[in-house]
Amino acid sequence: MSEPGRISIELTVNGEAHRGEVEPRTTLADFLREELRLTGTHVGCEDGFCGACTVHLDGASARSCLLYAVQAAGREVRTVESLAGPDGELHPLQEAFRRNHGLQCGFCTPGMLMSALELVESRAGGDPPDEGEIRAAIAGNICRCTGYQGIVEAISEALDDRAGTAE
Amino acid sequence: MQPLRSSEGSASTLVEAPGAAPLVGAPVARLDAARLLRGQGRYIADIERAGMLHACFVRSPHAHARLGAVDGAAALALEGVVAVFAAADLPHQPLLDSVRIEGLRKTPQPALASERVRFHGEPVAVVLASSRARAEDGAELVRVEYEPLAPVLDPEAAAAGAGPDLFEGGNLLYRGEIVAGDVEAAFAAADHVVSARYHGNRYAAVPMEARGCVAEHDPGSGELTLWCSTQGPHQLRRRLSQTIGLPESHVRVIAPDVGGAFGQKIPAHAEEVAIALAARAVGRPVRWIEDRLENLLAAPHAKEQLIETELALAADGTFLGLRARILGDAGAYSHNSTSALIEPYLSAGLMPGVYRIRDYRCEILAAVTNKSPVAPYRGVGWTAGHTARELLIEKAARQLGVDPAQLRRRNMVDSFPYESCTGMLYDSGSYVASLDRALAEIGYEELRREGGPPAAGQPAVGVGVSPYVEPTGWGSDGALQSRWSFASHDSVRIEIDPSGAVTAAVGTPSQGQGHETMLAQIVADGLGVELDRVRVVSGDTSGTPISTAGTRASRTAVVVGGALALAAEELRAKLERIAAYLLDAEPDQVRIEAGRFAVAGDSAREATLREVAEVAFYDPALRARLPDPSLSVSRFHDPPASYANGCVVALVAVDVETGAVTLRRLLSVEDCGTVVNPALVDGQVRGALAQGVGGALLEQVRYGADGTMLSGDLRRYKLPKATDLPAIELHHECSPSPFTVNGMKGVGESGAIAAPGAVAAAVADAVAHLGVEIESLPIDTDRIVAAAAAERS
Ligand code: FES
Ligand code: FES
Repeated sequence: MSEPGRISIELTVNGEAHRGEVEPRTTLADFLREELRLTGTHVGCEDGFCGACTVHLDGASARSCLLYAVQAAGREVRTVESLAGPDGELHPLQEAFRRNHGLQCGFCTPGMLMSALELVESRAGGDPPDEGEIRAAIAGNICRCTGYQGIVEAISEALDDRAGTAE
Repeated sequence: MQPLRSSEGSASTLVEAPGAAPLVGAPVARLDAARLLRGQGRYIADIERAGMLHACFVRSPHAHARLGAVDGAAALALEGVVAVFAAADLPHQPLLDSVRIEGLRKTPQPALASERVRFHGEPVAVVLASSRARAEDGAELVRVEYEPLAPVLDPEAAAAGAGPDLFEGGNLLYRGEIVAGDVEAAFAAADHVVSARYHGNRYAAVPMEARGCVAEHDPGSGELTLWCSTQGPHQLRRRLSQTIGLPESHVRVIAPDVGGAFGQKIPAHAEEVAIALAARAVGRPVRWIEDRLENLLAAPHAKEQLIETELALAADGTFLGLRARILGDAGAYSHNSTSALIEPYLSAGLMPGVYRIRDYRCEILAAVTNKSPVAPYRGVGWTAGHTARELLIEKAARQLGVDPAQLRRRNMVDSFPYESCTGMLYDSGSYVASLDRALAEIGYEELRREGGPPAAGQPAVGVGVSPYVEPTGWGSDGALQSRWSFASHDSVRIEIDPSGAVTAAVGTPSQGQGHETMLAQIVADGLGVELDRVRVVSGDTSGTPISTAGTRASRTAVVVGGALALAAEELRAKLERIAAYLLDAEPDQVRIEAGRFAVAGDSAREATLREVAEVAFYDPALRARLPDPSLSVSRFHDPPASYANGCVVALVAVDVETGAVTLRRLLSVEDCGTVVNPALVDGQVRGALAQGVGGALLEQVRYGADGTMLSGDLRRYKLPKATDLPAIELHHECSPSPFTVNGMKGVGESGAIAAPGAVAAAVADAVAHLGVEIESLPIDTDRIVAAAAAERS
């Protein structure tokens, strides 16, 4: 039974089952951050414009500030915390960001990674996208620090590496 | 397609922490990147304290009003709401700017408005509740009586005395003048006089992490701790101490990870003072996280200036004299960081720029209006002044029928040091070389040959050149040369613990620049140790030496890096003395390299840093020989001024039917003297260029006729997206400063200063055939479309 005004939900986050009690108005971003303490997902606007809150919902990128937590009930959420290995070793995409100076303050970075991850995973085995496609894929993620170039270079490198290993 | 990697590959290929010196000059990968990439950064919104409450501000819906009663009863009746505070509940001293410039009037700013609100969004009350959502519910129920007053929005009218007055004494806060040489004689002797006007747009830093803080007061010790998204913890501590009335010893400010700042997080913000007071009053920790609407509405804006310029030229194009009038729109308060003069005054001082101009006169005015106050934003007042001057030169070139790049070139400063007519001592530079390099890289000659009005249906293409000089590395001398009264020095401390680990403590936190890495490189080189042995800590006033100014004014490498280099040198000498004792050698025979000490000519005698540190701390016999073997060195540093330079070039295509401007190429030649970490420098240069492009093409805070702010979300206030920018092409020149440690200069603001001028000049070039002048930014595409339509019909 849930408290009055609260709804109980069950969902999978980064492969683990979670349950929680939320107000209907609680956003998925707030639920992840406040209830599950997964603070890697950042909130930059709460309006759907900046992309800092990007997570994957059932495998597709989504803005967790525009979703209510209750909308994620019964579904699978993936956040930036899922990328690195158990000992903290970086995912190849994270590694590419690090090598290419694809971050400065780091605030947009988790959302940027999740958008880039969607591109990298969806293009596995296919022709690597060109620079224009990479830029389009992250056009919904605002970075105020970098001018995007390190990010674009990092994604390009991650795509090249993937193409290299797929061959 | 453009190549993905920049033309000079060195900086985009990072190297891992190399073991051996020299590290200075190496593009070392950021030491803290992995943490941020894993999502393990710790920003303000990630900080939790036991019993913490959440705050939401009640903000004025009016631009200008008399403030009546504030009634929080209905809010307090709501479950979860713990307190509602208005100004009268939280007595404090108002915030004041500390700038000492004669003739500048002060405008006390309360943490919560009392009696009067002066801008849309000004905080009036604060609601504390068990969650942010609950606090927002409460804020909606707070009833506030307002008696609206006419808003003052036009700075020109405000300067002319139009009221109602925001403060006693009128709305004009400052009028002054810079006079150099004999400008009247210069104009009398001129063959050509060209004049222009420019309205620099009001835009804002818009860091992706908005402002925020967590305050906690310990009634037992009387200590107040504020975790705050700030650039200057010591400066904030001082302001809190002054407003709240606690000694500085009892105020601790901690800057955790900061998600971008760019100047906006330099001031002490009214909200931060209010949160500190509220936490003390309620006896529980309080967290305030600003939302995006509040950030666009009530966080400081920047850059708005009205500028009139006039250039006197000889028949051959030589600049003879320059006249200007600069009016800064300060917003509602002369803000506590840097005052109402941050825009017009700094703009006036750098107006001659890279050009040999000896006869100059500039009138400087600053007025208050009913808008959010203006504070520093990357490039500060220099952006608008630079843009106005470069557009003036562009216009002069067109009037004289000469090439704008060549007109610039013939008037450039070309020998150093050079003292500008406003008293800046340009230490060294590559002004002409950077211009020539930029022109060669963009293929200027060819672009010029192809130039001219476009064929029907084709976009109009234009190229804009924007050479710059940037005051950097502000110590007190740099500030003084900008005629700014400003304590701008640092102390640092380097310590080695008994395990041989090195900690460098500095007062300038990073907001993503990568200072920890860059400073660690300097320390590692200076000491002769491996990079991964060095940890740089910053951001906590209780553990770091004082930085009077904080992270701003492109000063960290020069001032703090310089201090660390000097401290490291001293500590290294001490280490070698101790090692000599341990190895039974003369100090001048011992050398440390990569953390190991060796005796010249005797490879058998060696010691590790750990062994030497162990001796320093625990060997009583050493104490008898060396009265102070402690492995801690503090160093104060306040370096002479230094000036970076370079040249930005933009190539644009303008669709005159839709007004759409496409930035085809953006190129910069940067010269910031000795570079510590080229990858970090490139990151700073690119980021600043992107912000400059935003200012030129997209960004503007808009107000309605009633003073309501109209651009309160990121759809209406547009930031550059990845698709708005081309791959940015960077090239480097290197003119080490003769005056600073290692020849370093600052970097990080040039693109924000010079890119708007480059883009504006490029668009002006593209649409010159339509008779359109660029007189304001962001580019007014409607005017271009209308001019094109008029030409067709
Ligand atoms: S916080 Fe979700 S898009 Fe900005
Ligand atoms: S790294 Fe700061 S916003 Fe992208």
